[in-house]
Amino acid sequence: MLRLGNIAAALRIRSVSPRLIVSLVLLLCCFPALLSAQTRRVVAVQCDGLPYDVVDRFVKERDPHTGKSQLPWFDYIFYQRGTRLANFYVRGMSLSSPSWSLLATGQHLQIKGNVEFDRYTQQTYDYLNFIPFYVQTTAGRRVDMQGVEVLDSLGLPLLTDAFPHDERHATFSLFQRGPRYVTFQRALENRFKKAPKELLDEWTMGGLGLRSSVPAQLLRELVESIGDPRFRYLELVTTDFDHAAHHNNDRESHLAVLKELDAELGQIWTAIQKSPLAAETTLIVISDHGFNTDERVYSQGFNLVKLLGSPAGGGHHVITKRRLLLDYSIKGMNPFAQDITTTTRDSYYLKDQSDDYPTAMIDFDGNERSSLQFRDSNLNLLHIILQQLQLPNISTPVRKALTDQFFMTLDARRAEWQRNLDEVNEELGALRRAIERQRALCATQPKKFTKEDTAAGRDDAAKRICVWQDIWTGQEQGYSEYARTVANLLALRKESFNPSQLKIEDLIAPHALGEHNTVQTLQNYVAGIAPGGVVLKSNGSLDQEKTFARIDYFSLLENVTVRNNVQAGVTNHPVDLLALRIPADLVKPLIAETKISPDVVWVSTGSAHQALILSREDNAGQLSFRYLPIKNLTLDEAGHLHFESVPWQPGLPLEIFEDPQLQVPDGNREKWLSEWHTDSEWLQTLHRTRYSNGLIGLQEQLARHEVGRLIDEPGISADERLLRRLLRRQRANIEADMLVVANDHWNFDVRGFNPGGNHGSFFRISTHSTFMLAGGDKTSIPRGAIVETPYDSLSYVPTVLALTGNLRDDNNPISILWDKGFRRFPGPPVKEVLLLPEQRNIAITGATATH
Amino acid sequence: MRRKPKAPPRRKSERGNFEPPKSAFGNSQNAAGIVAAHLQPAAGPTQFTSPFIRCYIVRARLNSANLLFANEFAQCFTQFALKQVFTQNSNKRCRKTAPLEGFVRLKTIKGFWNMRICPDKSSRPNARVFALLAFVFLLVPSSLRAQDSQSQKQPQPPPTPDAHPTAEIFRLERVPVVGGAELITVQAKLDGIKTPTGGTWVPLVSVMRDTLDDLSPENDRLRYVWPLTYTRPTLRQRLSGAVPFLYSRVGNKRSASAKAPPPVLDLAAPDRDVWNKIFWAALQNLMLDPYGTPLKAATRSYRQNASDYRKSQIIRALAVLSLYQAVASGAGDPVFSESELAEIQARLQLTDKTFGGLVDDVNLPRYNAQQITDVRDTRGHNWELLRQRAEAESLIFEPLQMPDGSATHALLWAAKGDLVTNTGKRYDGRFLNIADPWTDKRLLNWQGYCETRFLDSEDRSVSADTPGARAIELVPLALYGLDNPKIPMLLVDFRDGFNPKKREMSRRALQDVTRNILSVSRFGDLPYFVGRTVFDFVTGRRGIDLNQPSRLRTYSQLKLLLSLNQSLDPELREQLGERLERVSLNPMENDLEVEAKLATHQYAALLAYATRPDGLPQKLDRDRRAEMVKLEHGRTQQALFRLGNILSFGRYTHREKDSPELEAKLDVARRFAYHTRLLREVAKSSPQIDVTWDLAEVKRSLQFLVDHAEQADSRSASVAATIFLRTLDDETRRICLAGLTRMTNSRAKTELLHLSQQTDLDQAGKDLLISYLKTPRQPAGPLVVSGAKPKTRVDQ
Repeated sequence: MLRLGNIAAALRIRSVSPRLIVSLVLLLCCFPALLSAQTRRVVAVQCDGLPYDVVDRFVKERDPHTGKSQLPWFDYIFYQRGTRLANFYVRGMSLSSPSWSLLATGQHLQIKGNVEFDRYTQQTYDYLNFIPFYVQTTAGRRVDMQGVEVLDSLGLPLLTDAFPHDERHATFSLFQRGPRYVTFQRALENRFKKAPKELLDEWTMGGLGLRSSVPAQLLRELVESIGDPRFRYLELVTTDFDHAAHHNNDRESHLAVLKELDAELGQIWTAIQKSPLAAETTLIVISDHGFNTDERVYSQGFNLVKLLGSPAGGGHHVITKRRLLLDYSIKGMNPFAQDITTTTRDSYYLKDQSDDYPTAMIDFDGNERSSLQFRDSNLNLLHIILQQLQLPNISTPVRKALTDQFFMTLDARRAEWQRNLDEVNEELGALRRAIERQRALCATQPKKFTKEDTAAGRDDAAKRICVWQDIWTGQEQGYSEYARTVANLLALRKESFNPSQLKIEDLIAPHALGEHNTVQTLQNYVAGIAPGGVVLKSNGSLDQEKTFARIDYFSLLENVTVRNNVQAGVTNHPVDLLALRIPADLVKPLIAETKISPDVVWVSTGSAHQALILSREDNAGQLSFRYLPIKNLTLDEAGHLHFESVPWQPGLPLEIFEDPQLQVPDGNREKWLSEWHTDSEWLQTLHRTRYSNGLIGLQEQLARHEVGRLIDEPGISADERLLRRLLRRQRANIEADMLVVANDHWNFDVRGFNPGGNHGSFFRISTHSTFMLAGGDKTSIPRGAIVETPYDSLSYVPTVLALTGNLRDDNNPISILWDKGFRRFPGPPVKEVLLLPEQRNIAITGATATH
Repeated sequence: MRRKPKAPPRRKSERGNFEPPKSAFGNSQNAAGIVAAHLQPAAGPTQFTSPFIRCYIVRARLNSANLLFANEFAQCFTQFALKQVFTQNSNKRCRKTAPLEGFVRLKTIKGFWNMRICPDKSSRPNARVFALLAFVFLLVPSSLRAQDSQSQKQPQPPPTPDAHPTAEIFRLERVPVVGGAELITVQAKLDGIKTPTGGTWVPLVSVMRDTLDDLSPENDRLRYVWPLTYTRPTLRQRLSGAVPFLYSRVGNKRSASAKAPPPVLDLAAPDRDVWNKIFWAALQNLMLDPYGTPLKAATRSYRQNASDYRKSQIIRALAVLSLYQAVASGAGDPVFSESELAEIQARLQLTDKTFGGLVDDVNLPRYNAQQITDVRDTRGHNWELLRQRAEAESLIFEPLQMPDGSATHALLWAAKGDLVTNTGKRYDGRFLNIADPWTDKRLLNWQGYCETRFLDSEDRSVSADTPGARAIELVPLALYGLDNPKIPMLLVDFRDGFNPKKREMSRRALQDVTRNILSVSRFGDLPYFVGRTVFDFVTGRRGIDLNQPSRLRTYSQLKLLLSLNQSLDPELREQLGERLERVSLNPMENDLEVEAKLATHQYAALLAYATRPDGLPQKLDRDRRAEMVKLEHGRTQQALFRLGNILSFGRYTHREKDSPELEAKLDVARRFAYHTRLLREVAKSSPQIDVTWDLAEVKRSLQFLVDHAEQADSRSASVAATIFLRTLDDETRRICLAGLTRMTNSRAKTELLHLSQQTDLDQAGKDLLISYLKTPRQPAGPLVVSGAKPKTRVDQ
């Protein structure tokens, strides 16, 4: 009312009619953001891999040459005039694509790696490769980066989508909407717009630096756009520190690249101050992860691809998205290379068939972790038996034993595979209908666009419709082919079984891994025929133990060692821990908990040191976790889980109990650690430990999160329901059988060498990232403040929306954003940078701050 | 001898603090004692057997205060000079080669050397001159006294060598040069090398800093860099260097001459190097090549070998300086400021580039930082590549570290036990470039060097008495350099000495055959261009160790590492040293021990040169007078002088006549350049300099521009205008405007006009600008600047 009074006074309205008051109230309700927007414009500088600690250290150092801080602009903007979060962490893996997806959406993790592979079709989601994107956009086959396509398919809008198309200045990023060709052109022009002497100097000192011309142009464009008050959301992505820190671990190199970033911030800040919206602009620096880099240590690589290709590793032909030793290969120059198959000479049964039958897929990017996907062990077994049965001169007893084993295995999986096949066929039917609708829609789209259309993004929107038709068509073809082979396999009957008449590729789908492996199959993975060949038992049945070479991947990976151990502080065990998701239904009979989420995370550092991470969600959507120490987890063939509970002790995964930085409220570690706590309580307690929020991160990474179109909402059509089920299947298909996390100063990079440092793990040094804000006078962002309360990536989007008046107190977006697909945000905004509750003007719900 | 009326400088203590000079009268030490006191490092005693060094040191002390040493110095000097004469007369080889060497130099080489660095004729006095000088010294001690009495009247920096032991590995000597300069020498403790003095300290790099005889760093100028292992090749080496396809060493230079060693670079005139390169390239192409293949091949081979030799010495100097920097900065005792070191290192690195000498000084720190990053990146990649390859092939990897902890080389070993168990094992030699150890029967009966190590349960090397340690006997296979781009470079193959050499030869041979014999070049022959480009691309991309960049860098560094690394077993070090010498393709190279000996002798020669009135002091004077040309002549005249210099093969260099006015002008010019450079850096660095720079320093530099506005060029005007736009500080802006309004060049007026047209200038700036534009031109008096203090050298 005070505000109304002010408005009336301002408008010099002497007598306020009730109608006018009602109108004003309605106006306020319709445009709450206008009233509540302390920040009218956001400029976000997104720095890949910028660790808070490194920035903080350099800011506090004096440069003897200048007499100021080594990073004077960081100091000036954020340390003197802004707020910095001293404990801001990645939620999930410290890996670019997943982490930026969290920062871009504010919703739980859906993108689980920098590269993802669909188990059924080997379709690759390569979130980092922008070259195909730019080439395909010229042909109209793409409009957005692949990460955006996936998030769009899931119904998860990006932070940039909260702002109208013509009010946002986007940039090159992993989650980029629409190409920006003009940037390349202008970058090249500006590169040569220099004095000849300057050009000669640059050429002499290291070439013309065309590569750096694009980032320089992006900065130039950002600065230009800051001067235009039309833009309300502007962003710039910089990857320089990440690249430098992967290569170099020395202080000088890090400082040099940070000084460049600092100078860029200076340009941006100066441009903001000169702009008309200076007082209402908030400048943000945000990073997606920290960096495990140490000046005293080179990060050491371990080649998982070679391990899996070796006889001990299963003799797999391995698919990766990047070529091994990329920089040393002529073929490595091809940016359009499809999936790379590393052929092994040690394959047990698929020699010379690596093109058709890769049996493992690895995403090693980020490098401190790797996601492994193996072909369904039972498919291997069927494949091997078919090969044996097709051999000439096979004896009748052996033939019979192999045939019996073949159908025994098939029958054991038949129900599951048939159910999946039926569902897939249903989903494909819905997809085909959707493609037809999309085709019709595409045909109606205009082909020519005016400048106004382009400015409003209508051209991209129209192209997007046709692009989705293409994407769905590709998916339909891949899934149909997979379904065909599964159907053929399931159609086999023992009585009419004639292996010599069969083509294996009609039964066992090439380029497919089939269904996920279970803990049991990963512990007894069929890799091939044993050296002794087929062995029959005395009763004439197949002796499975002796016939097949089997691998226990847990034992294999946990016991890997190297012999060249030349650095102090680096162990000779490259693997730190293994983790995977197991269904809660298997766990429930063995624990006293019943109301737990369907996904349990099993984490292991060896048979004697394991843990289960249980989770549950209350009606208000509040997540809670419990860490259950166990040992000797196994799954028998009957599908029963076995493990032994153990008390809290040192040496358990994540090393929580023994960590001196653990801050348990009442001091009784064992008691506190054995209880259920909310994610924010765990974060508060754990964040300073060696693995910081690893417990939360593992659950975020490995559990399935129902968001957006993954949820069956009431009122949707049957086809929509089927399409959503297909979406869930696709997301499930990219999940890893096993997450392998590297030990400290180890990495799994195989495309080259990253001795400088890496990220991807749950170590605090890798997850501890940067979030700093500074604003003009009207933004009310505290000055010279440090926020010690720990926050994670889920808090970023709500904070930005709250600053700009787009978030309600119940963490729901305002209605305009709701209509755009934004939904309640699970993470709390950073309350310390927002106005005090009594000063806020968000009054739609009447609710107070919930945190 | 020029003298400037300045406050008497204070003596520096070893800790870097200034102390009043102590009178030697009050000290009971004799000359030898003084020498020992000054040159004895904390790490241990140093013996000086060379009479010349002793003479020099005595001479140095003499200049500082104590005239009683004059006679002793003169006697020592004579003794040394006579010894030189005696040695020359008794050495037939010297007698024979000296005239021929002189002849060759006169006809073909002298001009070359003169063009490159231009050492004065006076810098190469023969023994007779020494004897004569000694005689003069003996007869006329009064001249010395007179000189010294003059120096007593006008105190100057202590000429005693000032030893700064920064660590156990490096120490520093600073020797004042009469006329206002100092010679800074980095010495290293080379434990693995036998030195002529019997000690382990060997001087490696000297740098001359022209201080204009004061303590202000603003008018300092770094001049010559002497890698002391860099020496003039003998006639035999030179002739061998001109033999095409002679990819081999031909022996060592047995003794260094008494002449001052050749510097590799004049930091104050780096552009000279560029013009020399261009000149010689033109001369080669236009005049020598047409005479046919023999002459062409010989001259090109000679030039290539001479260039490679110089380059290898530059690399070594760089390595020494960066190691010293790492050690000294850790000890908090740097003698070079960061920017000085960056300048030296960048300039040395840029000698590798055709137009490197033309690069703007402002870019040097950036270039140096980039080079450091690149080298460390390469090193890390190669370290990891080699470790992984060793792991994959079941070999043992051992990085070798420089004293600063950086691993520049690595050894590969095979465990003796593995030789049996892995017999016939699959072996992939890619990147390792050595023969399969698992099928090599020689290794099973290895009689060469072996080493026993002890490993703990995590395969970490431990001492023999560690509980649970297990012994493992190792056979060395190869040694690699880690500093080469793309792949580790094989330097030593213990089973095949020719292996690394043939890989290095592949590069030179390809180059020599195509260019010198077949006369094809990339620019003139399209098929060759295409073929060569494809070949280079494939070998480079795949990391095939054929036609790769030269091993020069890593070879040079290994020599240093072998002499500095104290952890290597002496026997292994010796074997590595022997094998390493076989890799060298360059007839002009000398081996490790000889280089150490030569360095010691050359340093002595340099010190002698620095103390002779007609030596370095004279050269310093001539250089300054050459520098004064810019102050007196316009661009056209300067260009004509330069042309004359080139056409006379360096014989003619125009120099101004020294006068107090010109000296004062030179001082101002240097300071002006210093402040302009700083301000350019400031202007370039940030859109708002108030945030990024200490404004007091900026204002002080601006004030200097204002005070000497009449000397300002267009660059200074641009800088003042840019800083005006990039500051919000009124006082700084005012000084900028004062400078611009006082400057007489047209650019200043243009900049003022531009400033007046700025639309986004804040109101305060506009008001200030208007007030300046409205008021009549300011008289050229000093303005008052708050908070600024003149700089004095802080590294002393």
